Amino acid sequence: MMDVSRHPNIELITYAQVENIAGFIGNFTATIRKKTKYVDEKECTACGDCVKVCPVLVPDEFQQGFSSRRAIYIPFPQAVPSSYLIDMDNCLGTNPIACGKCKPACEKKCIDYDSRDEIITIDVGAVVVATGLKPYDPRPLDEYGYTRYENVITSIEFERLNAAGGPTQGHFIRPSDRKEPGSVGFIQCVGSRSKVRGHGYCSNICCMNTIKDSLLLQEHYPGIETSVFYLDIRAFGKGFEELYRKSREQGTKYIRGLPGEIREHHETNNLVLTVENTTTGKIELHEFDMIVLSVGVEPDKDSDKIKSMLSLSRTPDGFFLESHPRLKPVEVPTRGVFMAGFAEGPKDIKDSVCQAGAAASKVSNLLGAGKVRIEAVTSSIDEDLCTMCGRCVRVCPYNAITKSNKKANILPGIIEAACAGCGACGVECDYGAITMRHFTDAQYYSQVEAVLADKPGEKIVVFACNWCSYAGGDLAGTSRMSYPSSPHLIRTMCSARVNMDFVKHALKLGAPIVVVSGCHFSDCHYIDAVKNTQKRVEKLWDELEDLGIRPERVQLEWISAAEGAKFARVMKELELLRKQVTPKEIEETKRILIEAEKKKRGKKAAKKTVST
Amino acid sequence: MALENFHCLRCNHKYKAEFSKKEWPRELTCPKCKSNSVRWLKKRAAKGAGKKDS
Repeated sequence: MMDVSRHPNIELITYAQVENIAGFIGNFTATIRKKTKYVDEKECTACGDCVKVCPVLVPDEFQQGFSSRRAIYIPFPQAVPSSYLIDMDNCLGTNPIACGKCKPACEKKCIDYDSRDEIITIDVGAVVVATGLKPYDPRPLDEYGYTRYENVITSIEFERLNAAGGPTQGHFIRPSDRKEPGSVGFIQCVGSRSKVRGHGYCSNICCMNTIKDSLLLQEHYPGIETSVFYLDIRAFGKGFEELYRKSREQGTKYIRGLPGEIREHHETNNLVLTVENTTTGKIELHEFDMIVLSVGVEPDKDSDKIKSMLSLSRTPDGFFLESHPRLKPVEVPTRGVFMAGFAEGPKDIKDSVCQAGAAASKVSNLLGAGKVRIEAVTSSIDEDLCTMCGRCVRVCPYNAITKSNKKANILPGIIEAACAGCGACGVECDYGAITMRHFTDAQYYSQVEAVLADKPGEKIVVFACNWCSYAGGDLAGTSRMSYPSSPHLIRTMCSARVNMDFVKHALKLGAPIVVVSGCHFSDCHYIDAVKNTQKRVEKLWDELEDLGIRPERVQLEWISAAEGAKFARVMKELELLRKQVTPKEIEETKRILIEAEKKKRGKKAAKKTVST
Repeated sequence: MALENFHCLRCNHKYKAEFSKKEWPRELTCPKCKSNSVRWLKKRAAKGAGKKDS
């Protein structure tokens, strides 16, 4: 961190919060709230004279509450810059001044009770999201007795108790009697790998952290008994298996099974845990002086704010979604934004460093080039047709359309560098003012007409998104999975590009079944554009029902690029549905839709006449 | 969370599931046939409701 702060090209802004980020690739503007420290960080020499006179004692968050700090403090010993700050939530008060002892104690006159937060704006070309992690809070898992029993601690608390700079100067003692424990039990997967007891994902780092902790204890306190209760040990990195083996050789017992209950002995404060050893199939009781809960990790609580600020999407676990899991692991769908570390998913230090390096390299390439190459598939607005209703602005997942203002006669504008070409805006425009380059409405109508030109009753029209469903179909084909020949695919960049008029047009031309298919919500390549598809299809189902057409004739399916088997299965199911649609029903549908269209045209014409 | 009615347009299965308007739209999957053509049977106003008789 010292190197970062001294680097001539890096401006380090600490104790600050990003309030907003606006703009697009190469032209972002970040609004940052620089919180006041009430201490001039440039002048403060960290002499500590102020701390000596501060009467307030509060639990030290950095030491996990095992020791205390004053209201004026340095958050942690390696903090950069090394200067004090006043925690105003705990200070006795400066307005009016209730104590005020620190100010006269400071020889350099660094303390200013009247200083306020500062709002700064910075223009940046790219953004790297590295929001880090939050350890899982094991209190909901009541059977482990965390906070009920003093000697049950988390792996994070273990780190502090074992650290040379910790509250005990590295002497590992148990909290209840401050004696060195003779036996320590580690419980794995606390808050991980269980959807009902925490999170469904593996936190990635806990197994190796426990192995490291067991080795530390064995080396520092020879003869200490250490046992690890686990589901399975995931030691998959370079040198990890060797470390695991070493831990076993040094005497750590590995017992497969997670304890069901922990009880405390009321006199000795020792802990007795009950576990089903799944290797032997027997219920066992084990007694320990201390138990360490190897807690999992979860995304930072502020990730919601970052998500909306940068138009990011998240996986169901809450981590940010990358552009592509294998080929673009540090990029996000919003151009010019990259991510590193836990923001993307649980990973260890080595992987985080690799990802940070990759993100820095991507940023360097981008800024070094000074220009970006964008896809030709973008939207354009016809100013003569635009009514400035603003609907396109609301559906754009990339905030790539500038706001219109009817009163000021300001038309919306497409920021081409930010537009990713999903086409959600074009479908939303009822006035035909937005055209998607290379994927125009006319092209789609022509494709539908071409598909249904011959024997339409034997065909299924499938609108498939380029990234997932179309690729899923490809996979089914290349994997030689058999499916009927009736489905005819029409490629769209995103399922949100499918105008429901295309679907109605297909039905009008005699298609028995029309399918709209896209990515799963969590895989959407255009952040959350797929949500528009769901809304529109639902609306169409209602409309068809009102007209007397079976909504079943329009099907919706989310198929990922890896789901070739699903694609084949769905197509077989749809073929069965197609066979249920009679020629009479098709003819009736045609008649209803043509009549409805005539009615709609008539209404439009009447409206036009009235307005003129 | 309220219980709402859903209808699978693939296998015709009708079921109730938890639903929150805040989380809408979300990916729906029929518990019986795993299809995504699941329709939320929202309570819709009857056609012509609210209009005065002339």
